[in-house]
Amino acid sequence: MKIIAAKKILKANDQLAEANRATFNAARLLAVNMVGSPGSGKTTLLEALVNALQGRMRLAVIEGDIAGSIDAERMEALGVPVVQINTEGACHLDATMIAAAAQGLELAAADCLVIENVGNLVCTAGFDLGEHVRLVLLSVTEGDDKLVKYPAIFRGSHALVITKCDLLPHVNFNMERAVADMRRLAPDAPVFQVCAPRQEGVAELADWLVQRRP
Amino acid sequence: MHEVAIVDALIAQVEEEVRRAGVSGKVVRLDLSIGRLSGVSVDAIRFALELLAPGTIVESAQVEIRQPAAVVCCAACDHRAEVEQIPVRCPRCGSRELTIEGGREMLLESIELEESPS
Repeated sequence: MKIIAAKKILKANDQLAEANRATFNAARLLAVNMVGSPGSGKTTLLEALVNALQGRMRLAVIEGDIAGSIDAERMEALGVPVVQINTEGACHLDATMIAAAAQGLELAAADCLVIENVGNLVCTAGFDLGEHVRLVLLSVTEGDDKLVKYPAIFRGSHALVITKCDLLPHVNFNMERAVADMRRLAPDAPVFQVCAPRQEGVAELADWLVQRRP
Repeated sequence: MHEVAIVDALIAQVEEEVRRAGVSGKVVRLDLSIGRLSGVSVDAIRFALELLAPGTIVESAQVEIRQPAAVVCCAACDHRAEVEQIPVRCPRCGSRELTIEGGREMLLESIELEESPS
């Protein structure tokens, strides 16, 4: 006998992601899924955002890492409520992990939940976490070819943040090419050029996030 | 290697579908559709199946994987074509008003069982 299923393979994840999104909407919370390579500057950008969003949106953070709590400690040092997820080897976060981690946070006391995903440009592309906005980071030291080499992660993202822009004079990174490739992959996604430790370009990104709050 | 997580979800889904259909027996065949723009490697799916299938409901299933291409549709000239990469402009009239159909799906299409005589 044959069973016709015709169902999405990640249906369970997608359903749970929708439930997460409903929870975030009810709390009027903007959920951001921050993705990028290891070392692209996700935590450093987050530190700069804490500063830029001061008095505008109250942040809460979920840190996803394979092991350790270094990033969570950096958030705690800034007084931001944070939950650390250790994936024990898994290369991405999924909606189940977010549902569990969110229980450890007081969502009503936050306006924006940033989920810092595991550093990875491949696997993180396939899993909806229930976010409103997926922010993809690319540091100029990684090279402008990453958009062409890892299109899926850029295509599904709502904004591109190009980090470490202070290093542009020292690296071979063609900004025009990167911006054009992002326009091709995600025509509506803005591109922010930042140097997070100096807060350069971060205010524009903060403004854009504030406007996206549900 | 998110293919391992995908195959893990697939096996759970096959178990659920079979339970819901209220049948018992050996799963002999699975039909999947994995779009060419889904970002999933079919080789890695097969490797993950070798790893995870033993001892589960799908352990003796033959797995057929269809890989549908994406179809680009032009709103200006009604041109439709299968593409490997998403183009910026319509290859026929140059318009930017394109929509993409398919190519990103990951579906469990059907499950075939050999019913055990009761």
